[in-house]
Amino acid sequence: VTPEPGIRRGIRRFFRLAIRSASLTANDIDGEIDFHLRERREHLIARGYSPEDAGAEARRRFGEIDAARARLLRSALRHDASATLWDWERHMDTLMQDLRYAARTLARSRGLTAVALLTLILGIGGNLAIFGIVNAVLLQPLPFARPERLVRVFDDLPGAGAKNVGLSVPELVDLNERAGVFEGVSGLISASAALAGGERVERVEFLGTSPNYFELLGAKAAIGRTYGQAEWSPGFLDGVVISDALWHRQFGADPSVIGRRIRVDEDPYTIIGVMPPGFRHPGQTLSGDVDIWSGTGFSADPFPTPPARGVRLLGGAIGRLKPGLTLQQAQRRLDVLAVDLQRTYPNDYPSRLRWSLRVESAQTSLTGGVRPTLALLFIAAIFVLLIVCVNIASLLLARSTVRTREFAVRKAIGASSARLARQVLTESVLLSLIGGAAATVMLRVTQTRLLALIPPDIPRMNEIQLDWPLVAFSLVVSIGAGILFGLTPALRAAGIAPVRGLQVGGRTGGAQSIGQRRARSTLVVIQIALSVVLLVGAGLLLRSFAAVLRTDPGLDPDGLIDGQVWVPVPNHPEANKYLTASQQAALAKRLLDQLESLPGVTRLAVASSGEVPFSSATSPLQIPFSLPDEAATHENDHAASFGAVSAHYFDVLGTTVKRGRVFTEQDDARAPYVVVVNEAFARRFSPRQDPVGRRVQTSRGIELEIVGVVEDIRTAGLDASPEPHVYGSILQFPTVALAVLMRTHTDVKTAEVALTRAVAEVDRELPVFGVRTMRELMSASVARRRFSLALVSAFAGSALLLAAIGLYGVMSFLVGQRSQEFGIRLALGAPPRAIAGLAARPALTLALVGVLLGLVLSLIMSRWLSALVFDVSTSDPLTFASVGVLLVAVATVACLVPARRATRVSPLDALRS
Amino acid sequence: MPDSILLRGTLDLLILKVLILGPMNGFEITRAIEDRSDGSLDVEDSALYQALHRMEERQLLEAEWGVSDKNRRARYYRVTRAGRARLREESQRWASSAKTVLRILGEVAR
Repeated sequence: VTPEPGIRRGIRRFFRLAIRSASLTANDIDGEIDFHLRERREHLIARGYSPEDAGAEARRRFGEIDAARARLLRSALRHDASATLWDWERHMDTLMQDLRYAARTLARSRGLTAVALLTLILGIGGNLAIFGIVNAVLLQPLPFARPERLVRVFDDLPGAGAKNVGLSVPELVDLNERAGVFEGVSGLISASAALAGGERVERVEFLGTSPNYFELLGAKAAIGRTYGQAEWSPGFLDGVVISDALWHRQFGADPSVIGRRIRVDEDPYTIIGVMPPGFRHPGQTLSGDVDIWSGTGFSADPFPTPPARGVRLLGGAIGRLKPGLTLQQAQRRLDVLAVDLQRTYPNDYPSRLRWSLRVESAQTSLTGGVRPTLALLFIAAIFVLLIVCVNIASLLLARSTVRTREFAVRKAIGASSARLARQVLTESVLLSLIGGAAATVMLRVTQTRLLALIPPDIPRMNEIQLDWPLVAFSLVVSIGAGILFGLTPALRAAGIAPVRGLQVGGRTGGAQSIGQRRARSTLVVIQIALSVVLLVGAGLLLRSFAAVLRTDPGLDPDGLIDGQVWVPVPNHPEANKYLTASQQAALAKRLLDQLESLPGVTRLAVASSGEVPFSSATSPLQIPFSLPDEAATHENDHAASFGAVSAHYFDVLGTTVKRGRVFTEQDDARAPYVVVVNEAFARRFSPRQDPVGRRVQTSRGIELEIVGVVEDIRTAGLDASPEPHVYGSILQFPTVALAVLMRTHTDVKTAEVALTRAVAEVDRELPVFGVRTMRELMSASVARRRFSLALVSAFAGSALLLAAIGLYGVMSFLVGQRSQEFGIRLALGAPPRAIAGLAARPALTLALVGVLLGLVLSLIMSRWLSALVFDVSTSDPLTFASVGVLLVAVATVACLVPARRATRVSPLDALRS
Repeated sequence: MPDSILLRGTLDLLILKVLILGPMNGFEITRAIEDRSDGSLDVEDSALYQALHRMEERQLLEAEWGVSDKNRRARYYRVTRAGRARLREESQRWASSAKTVLRILGEVAR
C-alpha cells in the first residue's frame, strides 16, 4: 500500500486538517467500480459462470452502473462541501459566541475598557512607530535586485591608523579585473556641481560613477534610459541621469526633458533619463540625495592622466558580488589581492602602512551607524508595552474577583475550564486588537507630524511608510499582547471551582483573594522593575546629553554664520578658469576682499568646505604623512585629516591659539609652506616635544613647517573625540569646495542674500548654498541624540505613570480587603497614623522589591547602552540612586490616598459588612 | 441505495466489523460481508461503496490506493480510531436494543 504524497497524516490530524487531501475524484470512483466488476467477474467464473454470464451477473449485482456512478460522485461532492463547512461553521460559531460575549463584557465595564484601550494605544502605538523605522531602515533589504550581493569597498591604511582613505583608479581596475569576486564594481566620486540654466546657478549633489553603475544595481530609469557599460569612455559620458527630485525642482516634471542639454560645472551634458522617485544612491553623499548621476571611466580630463596608483580620488566603490560568495569569502580574496598588489607595487604601498581593502555589505555600510539608536528605542518601546500588559493584567485580575460568581455559575451549568479560559482570552485579545487598530489609525493620522520628528540624518527615511508589514506587525503585537495580559486572568478563570466559587464569589476574602493578591503583587513588582530599567536608561541618556552639551566645541557658536561656495570644475582644462593653484588662490583672495564689505559682518574667513564644523555627514579623508625628524621612519606611517583656512579663520570661530602663530595674508604661494595643527595632533604625534617648528612631510614629498597649535574644534560632532587635524593656509592650498564663515549681527536670511549677491559679483557661475547658523549646525549634530533621549524619556515617563497607577490599584485593593481589620483597630483606639503605616507597608515593600530588582536588571542591561552614552559610566551611581529615590517617592505618593482611606474606615460599617 | 435507516446503520456496523481485521479493498469487503451474512443482507454492491465513501468522509475509515494481490490497483480501506470507537458504541447499542426487541418479541410470543 503506497502512501499518498503531501502532508503526513499524523500532522494533518494534529492540526485537524482534513485527513483526505482532496475529494474523491471521478477517477477514483471509476477505478474503484472497474476493479470491483473485474474482481466480481473472476470470482463468478471461478464459481462456474461462463465469462459472458459472469460479466452480466457482476453488473447486475453492482446495480445500474451509470446511475450508481452518478450517485457516488454526487455524494462525494456533497460530503466534501458539508464536511469542511461543518467543521468551519462549528468553530466560527463558538468564536462568534465568544466574541459577542466579550464585546458585551467590555461594553459593560466602560471605565476599565477605556483605561485599558488608552494604555494599549500608547504601548502598541509606540512599538508600531519604532518598528516602522526599524523595518524601513534596518530590516527591509535595499530596494534593488538581489540586494544582499551589493557591497561597498573601501581602502584602509591600518599602519597609519587611517580608515577609508579613498580609492585610486588603477585599484578600481584591479577590483574589476583581478579580484574575481565581483560581477561588477563601480567607482564612486561624490561632488558638488553647479547646475546652470535656471534663474541662478544652483548647487546640486553630483555622483560620478563607472558606466556600469545602474546595471550592477539593477536599476531602470522611470523616463528615458540610464547609461551603461557599453558606452564606456575614459572621460565623462555626454548622457547624464537626473533624480526625480531634481526633475520636479528644476524641470517642472516635464516629460520632454529627455534630450535636453544642460550645463553642469560649465560643461554641456544631455539628460538621458529620470530615475523613479524611490531611487536613492545606496551610500553616503556630501549633503542630501544625489541629483545628477554621470558615468565616467575616471581616466581622462578632469582626472589625472594616466591614472596614478597613489592618487586616491575616488571615495570608494560599490560592487555586486558573484552569486554564492559570502562576504567573508570575498574579504579573504580581497586580502589576497591586496598582498599581491603590495608585492607588485612596493613604492605605492609602503609595507608599514599595511594597505588593505575592506568589503562591507551596502546595507550595513549605509545604516550600521543608526543600529544602536534604533535598537535602544525598540527595546524601550517593548518595555513600555510589557508594562502596559502587566497593568491591564492587573486590572483584569481585579475584575475577575467580581466575576468569580459569573464563572462559577457558568462552570456549574457545564462550561469547561478550557472554554472559560478561552472566553477570557477572547476578551483580552479582542481588547488589544481594538487597541492595536486604534493605534494604527492614530499613527496613520499623525504620520507626517511624527516623521518630521525623526532626525534627517537617519538613512532611508524616505522608505518609512505605514504599509502592510506594519499592519501585520500591529496584528501580531496586538494578539501577542492580548494573550500576554489575558493569560493570568484566563488561568484564574479556568481554576475556579464551581461550588467554592459560588460560596466565595461575593465580595472579599477567601482563597480566591489570596491568590489574587499574590498574582497582583507579582505583577506590580514586575511593573516597577521594568519602569526602573527604562528610567535608568533615560537617566543615562539624559546625563550623556547634558555632558555632550557641556562639551567645549572649540569655538563660539553665537553670531556665527557659514555658507558654502562651489567652484565649478569643467572637464576640459582650457575651459577651467580656476585650474591652477594660483588661479584658485586668487579667487579666494578676491572673495575675501569682496565679502569684507558685507553689511553686518564683523569678521570673515574662507576655508575648504570640510572646515565648517558640524556640517559634514561623512568623516574627512585621512591623509598619510610622516615626521622626517623622527629617526625611525621616513615612510608615511601617520595619518591626519587636512583642511585649508584663511588668515582670520580661528579668530572668526573664536578658537584659542595654544602655541605659536596662525596664518597671515603673507602665507601665500611665495612664502614657505606652513601648517597649524590641533591639540589632538600634538597629543598623538608629538607628546614629548613642542610641535611648533617640526616638519610634516606628505606622501607627495612636500615639507610643511608646523607654526602653531590650536584648540581642538569638535568638527565631527560634540560627542566625537577630536582627531588629529592639520590646517594649511588657503592661499597655499587652495580648493574648489569653499566655505565662508562670518561673524555677524544679522540673521541668516539677510546673510544668505548678501552673500549670494557678493559672490555673484565675483563670478556669476559660483553657486552659494548651505547658509546656516553655527547654532543650527550644532543642534543638527546632536539631533539623533536628542531624538532618542526624548523618546526614551517619554517611554520612561509613561512607564513611571503606569507603575504608579498599578501600585495605587494594588494598594487600594489591599486596603479594601483589610478594612474590617482597620475598623476594629481604630475602634480599639489605634492612632490613624499607625493605621496608615500598617496599610501602606505591604505596598511599599512591593515597591522596594521592584526597585531593587529593577536596579539589578538595569546594571545587567545598561551595558548595551555603551555605544550611546557619552562621558558617563553605564553604571553611573548618581543615575541609579536618583531613579531609586524617584520611584520610592512616586510609590509613596501612590500609596498615600489609599492609606488615608484606611484611617477613615468607620468601625461600625466595617464590622457590619 | 439502502432503503431504511436501520439498514444503513447495520451496513456501517458490518463494514466496521469486517475491516477491524485489517485493511481491505471494496470487493474483499463485499465478499466478507456476503460470507458472514450468508447473503441475507442482499443489497446492490454499489450501496456498499456509497457507505464506504460516507464513512470515509466522517473519518471512521481512511482509504488509500494500493495494489491488490493480483497486482491490480485497488482502494484499500482501514478503520480509524474514531471508527473503532464507533464500532464499540454501536455494537453495545445494537446488542442492548436487540435484547430489548427480543424480550418484547419473547413476551409477545408467550
